[in-house]
Amino acid sequence: MARTNLGEFEETILLMVAILDGEGYGVTISQALEEHTGRVVTFGTVHNTLIRLEEKGFVRSELGGATNERGGRRKRMFQITAYGSRTLREAQQLREELWRLVPPNALKLGGI
Amino acid sequence: MTPKAPTPLRPVGPRWAKRLLRWLHPEGTLEEVEGDLDELYAYWHHRSGKTQATLRYLLNVVSVLPPFVRRRKRKEEYLPTHNLTTAMIRNYFKIAFRNLIHSRAFSLINIFGLTLGITCSLLVFLVIYHETSYDKYHKNADRIYRVETVNNTDADAHPGTYTELGDVLKDAPEFETVVPVWNEGGRGLSIPATGDFFKERIFFVDPDIFQLLDYQWIAGDARSALSQPGQVVLTESYAKKFFGTTNALGKTIHYDNKQDLQVAGVLKDYPLNTNFPFDVLVSLATLKRVNSDYDSHGWTGFGDNYQIYTLLKPGFRPGQLEKRFHDIQVKYQQDPKTVENQRFILNPLSEIHYAYNLSGRQANARLLDILAVIGAFVLLIACINFINLTTAQALKRAKAIGIRKAVGSSRLSLIYQFLTEAGLVTFLATVTSVLLAGIVLPSIAGMMGLPLKAEDLFTWQTGAFLLGLMGLATLLAGVYPAFRLSGMSSLWALKSNRLPQGERSISLRKGLVVLQFTVSMVLVSCALLVNRQLSFFQNADIGFNKNAIITVGLPENNPEKLHLFRTQLMESSQIKDLTYSFNSASAESNWMQGIQYRENADIREVKTQMKMGDSHFLDTYGIQLLAGENLRDTDTLSASSKVLANEVFLQRAGISSPEAAIGQKVYFGDGSQFATIAGVVKNFHVNSLHQKIDPTLIQVVPRHFYQAGIKLKSEKPTTETIHTALALIEKSWKKTFPNQVFEYKFLDDTLAQAYQNETRTAQLIETSTLIAILIACLGLFGLATFAAEQRTKEIGVRKVLGASVTSIIALLTRDFLKLVFLAGLLASPIAWYAMSQWLQSFEFKIEISGWIFTLTILLMAGIALLTVSYQAIKAALMNPVKSLRSE
Repeated sequence: MARTNLGEFEETILLMVAILDGEGYGVTISQALEEHTGRVVTFGTVHNTLIRLEEKGFVRSELGGATNERGGRRKRMFQITAYGSRTLREAQQLREELWRLVPPNALKLGGI
Repeated sequence: MTPKAPTPLRPVGPRWAKRLLRWLHPEGTLEEVEGDLDELYAYWHHRSGKTQATLRYLLNVVSVLPPFVRRRKRKEEYLPTHNLTTAMIRNYFKIAFRNLIHSRAFSLINIFGLTLGITCSLLVFLVIYHETSYDKYHKNADRIYRVETVNNTDADAHPGTYTELGDVLKDAPEFETVVPVWNEGGRGLSIPATGDFFKERIFFVDPDIFQLLDYQWIAGDARSALSQPGQVVLTESYAKKFFGTTNALGKTIHYDNKQDLQVAGVLKDYPLNTNFPFDVLVSLATLKRVNSDYDSHGWTGFGDNYQIYTLLKPGFRPGQLEKRFHDIQVKYQQDPKTVENQRFILNPLSEIHYAYNLSGRQANARLLDILAVIGAFVLLIACINFINLTTAQALKRAKAIGIRKAVGSSRLSLIYQFLTEAGLVTFLATVTSVLLAGIVLPSIAGMMGLPLKAEDLFTWQTGAFLLGLMGLATLLAGVYPAFRLSGMSSLWALKSNRLPQGERSISLRKGLVVLQFTVSMVLVSCALLVNRQLSFFQNADIGFNKNAIITVGLPENNPEKLHLFRTQLMESSQIKDLTYSFNSASAESNWMQGIQYRENADIREVKTQMKMGDSHFLDTYGIQLLAGENLRDTDTLSASSKVLANEVFLQRAGISSPEAAIGQKVYFGDGSQFATIAGVVKNFHVNSLHQKIDPTLIQVVPRHFYQAGIKLKSEKPTTETIHTALALIEKSWKKTFPNQVFEYKFLDDTLAQAYQNETRTAQLIETSTLIAILIACLGLFGLATFAAEQRTKEIGVRKVLGASVTSIIALLTRDFLKLVFLAGLLASPIAWYAMSQWLQSFEFKIEISGWIFTLTILLMAGIALLTVSYQAIKAALMNPVKSLRSE
C-alpha cells in the first residue's frame, strides 16, 4: 500500500476544494469548512494548508479576476488536480476496506 | 448585540492591523490574503457584529504573519511570463515589421548588406560542396585507390605507373579488383555508316572497371562488354553524337583508320562530379593492335597515361601494403638503385580530385580554403554592419524600449523582440540572396570553371546550409543588440537620449568599423598584389616569343606528310616559319630524362628536359643561339646525333662557357648512346613561371614530333590576317591529313592557361574585395547618417556661432578617417604576411613593396571620405534655424 502524504486536515481541506468545484478560495473554503464540519480554524491554517496542498501537487491555483468587493484585489482560486482526486479516492477506498475488516461486534460497547 | 444591517460602505478591519499585515506578510501572497481577510471581515461583521469581527480579524491576521504563515515558494510567486505564445510571437513580428518600415533606409542598408554577405557564403558553399562531392557516389568509394609511383629523391608522386604492375597486382591477395586505364588523348574516330569523323579522348580499360565504379547500363552487359579486342562502350550522349541514337549496340566505329570497334554497350551518362569522365571506353586488349609502342610488360619507363585503379579487399588499409609493394619491386624492377629510388603508394579516391586526375580539372584545396575564409569574412562584415546599425538606431528607439521596460516587459521578451527583428531581416536577405545567387551563378561557375547550375541552389543540402546560415547570421547580428539594448536601464532610456551610457557602445562600434575596414583593406592589398603577380607573369621575359604562334596537334608524323604540309604552308606570305616538335617551347607536359656528362672520370648526372624539335624550332619560337650552330634536320638520333643545350644545363654539368660546351658529349640513360653539343641557346622558360628553368636539350627526333608550331608573319596579327592564315592552314591540313579533325590553339592562350589558378584567385579576390568594400561603406554610410542626425543640434549651434561649412564637414569626417587609418595600420602587416605566404609557391615572383599598402590606405580613405561626405555636407549645409527650432 502506497503511503499517501495526506494528513487528516489536509484531506478535509482537499475535500472542500473538491466540493466547491472551481469556486474554492480562501474565503469560501473557510466558510465551507465551518459550515460542513463545524470546525473553526484561523485563516492562517487554511491558507498554509492550501499552500502545502499545492506544493504536494494535490491542487493547482491561479489568480482569478479582481472584484470590487475585495477592493480590487485578486482571488487565488483553487482546483483539485487529477493526482489530488486520485489520492482522495484512494483514501476513501482504503477506509472502506478497513471498515469491512472490522468484525461486526468489535465496535459495540462492551456488555450492552 | 444585534447584527447590524450591512452598510453600503463595506466594513473594513482596523487599519493598523492591515498595515501590520502589509508590512509582515510575505509579498507573494499578500494580495490574495488581504482580499480574503477583507471578505471574511465583511462576512463576520455581517454575522456577528463589529467587535466579534474585529477580534477574529486580528486573530486571523496574526495567523498569517510570520512565523505562522507558510511562504509560497518563489517559483509560484509569479505566473511564469510566457514570451513565446503565438500571440506574443505575432506581436514580435508585427513590431518588427513596423520598425523595419519605420526606418526604411536603415532596413534597406541592412538587408542589402546581409544579402551580399549571404550570397557570398552561399556561392562559396556551392563551390566547396561541389568540389568535395567528387566520386562520393560510388558504392565502394572508400576502398578505391590509385597506385602511384613516388620518386623518393624529390617526393614527387606520379599518377602513372609501369604497365606490368597491373597484372602483378591481380595476383596479390589484398586486391579485389585491379583496373588498368590507358588514356589516349585525341584519337580520330570515324563512323563508316555516315562518313562523319571525330577526334576524341579514348580510354582503354578492362571490363573490371564496371566492378570498380558504378555505372548504369542502357544496353549491353557489364560482364561481356570490353572482354574481347575490338569492343567499345559509349555513354548515352556519345552514342547519340556518333549514331544519332542510343540504340547503337553492334554498330561499328573506325579507330584511327586502323581498327574496327564494335559497340558492345551503352552507359547512362556519368554525373558531372566525377574524376572519370569516360565517354569512349575501348577494351584494353585492343590497345596492342592500335598502338605498336604499347608494351604490356613494361618495367623500364612509365607515363601518366597508364594508371592503375584498384579496389582493396575489405579490411585492408593502404599502409599495410608497403611490404607487398617492396617485394614486387625487388622481384620485377631488380635494379637495386631503382628499388631504392622509387616506391608505390595507394592514393585514396577521395584525394584524386585535388591532384592530377583524368577529368582535366582539379580542385585547388588552397583556393577552397581561401574561398571559405573570404566567404566567412564577407558574412562577418555584413553582420557587423547589422550590429552597428542596429545599436546606433536603438538610441532612437531607447524611449520605446524604456517604456516597455517600465511597464514591466521582461528582458526576455525584449530579447525575443530584437532577435525577431534580426531574424526577419536575415530571412528577407536570404530570400533575396537565393535570387541573386541564381542570377550570378552562371558567371561564377564560368570564372571557376565549374559545372554548377541553378538547380544546385535547390537541393536539400543547400537548404540545410541556408537554414544554418540564417540561424548563424541572426545570432551573429542579433544577439549583441538584443542583450545590449534590452539591458539598458529604463531610467536612462526614458530620461534623455544624450548618450551618457552610449559611450561604451560607441567605442565598440568604432572597433567593429575598424575590423570591417581591416578586412576590406587586407582584401584590397591582396587583390593589388595578386594582380601585380599576374601581370608579372603575363609580361615576364620568358626567353622566347609566344606571340602570333598557332599550334596544331599532329595525328601522325610520317615524314612525307610533314614535308607536304610544310611546303604547302611555306608558300603563303602569311606564314613566317613552321616547326615540328614534341611540344612547344614551354608546355605543361614535359619529357624528363637523366643525362650524363662526363668530364674525364667525373660523371655528372643531370635530370634534363628533352625538347624534340626540328631545325626551325629556334627560329619559330625566337630562341636565341649563344654559341655554336643550329641543328639540321639530318641530325637525327644516331651515332652522330647532335643537340643544343641551354645555359642551365651547362651550369649543372659544370661547363664554364657556351664556347667551351661546343663539341662536348652527353650520354643518354645507361650511357651507351651519346650526342654532341652543337650549340648553346639562351635560357628560356620551358615551364610556367611557377617552376625553375630545367636543364634542357633540344634534339631532332622526327618520330616524336606531335605538334606543329606555326609562326605568322606579322607580330601583332589582326583578326583578318589570323582568319586568312587559319583558313590556309586548315586547307593544307585537309589535303595532308584527310579524315582528321583540325584543331588549333594560340600559344599565348595556352601559356596563359598555366596561370588559370592565379587568374581565378585574382578574380575571386577582386570580386569579394568589391563586395567587402561595398558592405563596409554601406555600414559607414549608415553610421555617418546616424552621427549627423545625433549632432544636428550641435551643428546648428556651431553654425549660428559662425563655424564654416568646411570645418563642420571636417568635424564629421575626421572621426571616420581616423578609424580607416587605424584599420590600414592593422591590415598592412596581415596582408603582407598572407601575400608572402602565397608568393612562396612561385619560383619567379614580384617583390612586395610598401607603396601597395600606402595606396590601399589612401584608396580606402578616399572611398570612406566619399561615403561619409554626403551626409557630412548635407548636415553642414542644413539651415540652423531648422535644426534648432524643433525640440
